[in-house]
Amino acid sequence: MIVQVLIRAAALLAVVLSLSTSAWAQKSVTLLNVSYDPTRELYQEFNTAFAKYWQGKTSEVVTINQSHGGSGKQARAVIDGLDADVVTLALAYDIDEIYQKAKRIPADWQKRLPQNSAPYTSTIVLLVRKGNPKGIKDWDDLGKPGVSVITPNPKTSGGARWNYLAAWGYALRQPGGGEAKAKDFVASIYKNVPVLDSGARGSTTTFVERGIGDVFISWENEALLAVKELGKDKFEIIIPSVSILAEPPVTVIDKVVDKRGTRAVAQAYLEYLYTEEGQKIAAKNYYRPRLAAVAAQYAEQFPKVNLFTIDEVFGGWEKAQKTHFADGGTFDQIYQPGQ
Amino acid sequence: MRPSRLLALVTAVTSLGVGMPRVVMAEGKTLRRALAEKRALENKVEILDRKVRELEQRVEQSLGTTGEVRNAVVPGPRTEQVEALDQKVRVLERRWELDQEQAAAKAKEAPTFTAGKDGFSLKAADDSFRLRIGGYVQADGRFFADDKERATTDTFLLRRVRPILEGTVGKYFDFRIMTDFGGGTAVVQDAYLDAHPWSWARLRVGKYKPPVGLERLQSGAELLFVERGLPTNLVPNRDVGVQIHGELAGGAATYAFGAFNGVADGASGDLDNSDSKEFAGRLFAHPFKHTSIEVLQGLGIGLAGTYGDQRGSTSATALPTFRSQGQAAFFSYRSDGTAAGTTIANGSHSRFAPQGYYYYGPFGLLGEYVKSYQHVQRGTTAATLENDAWQIAASYVLTGENASYRSVSPAQPFDLAKGTWGAFEVAARYGELDVDKVAFPIFADPTKAARIAESWGLGLNWYLNRNVKFQLNYEQTDFTGGGPKGERPKERAILSRFQVAF
Repeated sequence: MIVQVLIRAAALLAVVLSLSTSAWAQKSVTLLNVSYDPTRELYQEFNTAFAKYWQGKTSEVVTINQSHGGSGKQARAVIDGLDADVVTLALAYDIDEIYQKAKRIPADWQKRLPQNSAPYTSTIVLLVRKGNPKGIKDWDDLGKPGVSVITPNPKTSGGARWNYLAAWGYALRQPGGGEAKAKDFVASIYKNVPVLDSGARGSTTTFVERGIGDVFISWENEALLAVKELGKDKFEIIIPSVSILAEPPVTVIDKVVDKRGTRAVAQAYLEYLYTEEGQKIAAKNYYRPRLAAVAAQYAEQFPKVNLFTIDEVFGGWEKAQKTHFADGGTFDQIYQPGQ
Repeated sequence: MRPSRLLALVTAVTSLGVGMPRVVMAEGKTLRRALAEKRALENKVEILDRKVRELEQRVEQSLGTTGEVRNAVVPGPRTEQVEALDQKVRVLERRWELDQEQAAAKAKEAPTFTAGKDGFSLKAADDSFRLRIGGYVQADGRFFADDKERATTDTFLLRRVRPILEGTVGKYFDFRIMTDFGGGTAVVQDAYLDAHPWSWARLRVGKYKPPVGLERLQSGAELLFVERGLPTNLVPNRDVGVQIHGELAGGAATYAFGAFNGVADGASGDLDNSDSKEFAGRLFAHPFKHTSIEVLQGLGIGLAGTYGDQRGSTSATALPTFRSQGQAAFFSYRSDGTAAGTTIANGSHSRFAPQGYYYYGPFGLLGEYVKSYQHVQRGTTAATLENDAWQIAASYVLTGENASYRSVSPAQPFDLAKGTWGAFEVAARYGELDVDKVAFPIFADPTKAARIAESWGLGLNWYLNRNVKFQLNYEQTDFTGGGPKGERPKERAILSRFQVAF
């Protein structure tokens, strides 16, 4: 009898010890994802999925904190010392700057993940009010008098730089097109811009919530989100004849993850974007997935667009940044507040 | 005007403007009402137009733009005009909104400049960089009663003229630079860097007060009396070295341990004259600080000490001169410039200094004792001398403010218009300094150096505000020995000070 009691007590003790040991063993970690402006909904959903996946795999509880803003501004914050474990920005140039100015990542960061570290793509479309009262059909219409255009500031917003280059690339492809004509054309568009927000989400607010402007040059995902959130009876999406392939890249910030000991989880976080689950979350949030199977599943959601790349038309981001968006570049020449 | 109301306005204007002829043809009564409504709407459009122009002006002034916003030519029928005005209002409101957001973001990052009772300071938004410019000036009067033998001189003087530059760089590193131009000389009193990654462990390097004397550690601007008491003669003034220090138990205790060049009692130094160093340490506690025993929360007790080796030479003896409250030298060692006739420090030098204070409401009490052991030599004769000093000082703030180790802050600063006079405090103290008998006559001349000084003093402090103070003291000191005919004459000093500190 006593032996049985002792055996039961020992078994109970073993259970209690194992439970408490596992409780003690459960670690937790936080990550900071510094992202560009319109990815809030994407990463809200993605972070929940990744946290569940990671805890199932490692028993470690991971909390991902998000920071959102214009891609250029976010990159500057990381350069100035913001300890991001990962950045998921709008364009490769902004991440290159983190290497150039702060050496917080290696020079070959873009080769570390598939498809130049861009797990999803997007493009630039035109969002107009229901009924398309100004009859917007293509880029040409944006430069006409009486058309009010909403687009963010390319000095701070990555999306705005894609917008600008998409318009410029369109102009180059027109009959008789050349750099001078493209400059005049883009200048005519910016002459119609009444408000320059610092980021893409700010411009969405301006157009959608404040009711300003006739046409919004928008990330495709923002346009689809606006239609979904506010209904097809409020807005329409106009697919331009040609647009630019936007490849928002991601990377781990090496100096931060090594200091914080979060390299493994940060790497896994970005790699999860390439999994089927991650790609589906991207697609559900209107980012074009890379995985062929998922792309096929969501094909109807994404209209066919004639796309060019920044390498094809502008010779890459470094050249485009220097020519158009650096201080004294083309944008500064065509847009000066007050004129 | 809200967009929805404007939309309604557009609809009304459109229907009235377009439909009026039909209304005229249809019903007479309705026509009068329609006309009145039309006139009302037109008035509203004109008011809206005026508001838009005013808003344009405000935004232009804020954004510094000229002309861009003020494009009042809005051609077209009323409907288009209203829609265009509506858009203009929205654009202006949005620009205003973005402007406010940018201003708020800039304000968060912008440094702040303040000027007030604590001086002038500039601070970064995240507090990681800070600069404070402060200082204090003391204009003293020093008068001696019954000074028939003219042992001392009545004088006005600038006792201290101390500009202070202090601040923080990179969040964890404080610095302080304080010079003194009092008495027509220029001396770097403090110049140090203090690294403080944690409150319990800080590292200080440079020139500053070693952690020894209680009254010496008080700022020169926060003294209860015009001059510090006799025990301060036996503790180091400023020295160059390195120390670790910090707060423990939520500030209830502090510690400091350091290594310094070593200086004579009461003296300051910038360079060492030997390889040996002096170690200093202090522990000070407020044992009842975090208890509910309110009457004892202001009790502070501590112990400090030094241990080192002091060696002098004929030209630089490394030995002290002791001064009275009137700042007259009443003791010094023999020194005639010859090896045989000059007493020098020549060996171990240590100090032992228990200390404490008590403050409760307007009442304050401060006391300290210092014993200094110094090995000395003159010619072939050597000895270890034990000199000691102590004092006890009491104070009471007549106007009811709290007495404090860090001076009194008047509740109602001096203001003639309001009839307020600041704070008044009375103080009294007694102290003694005893030189070891063994010092006489070999190491010190008994006809020139007094063996004992016994001093008592009364003080009145008038704190006009946190930055301006007036002090008046009477200090009387009796000496044993030190005179050519026996006793050094009694010193009766009347000391005054007018101080501005910020």
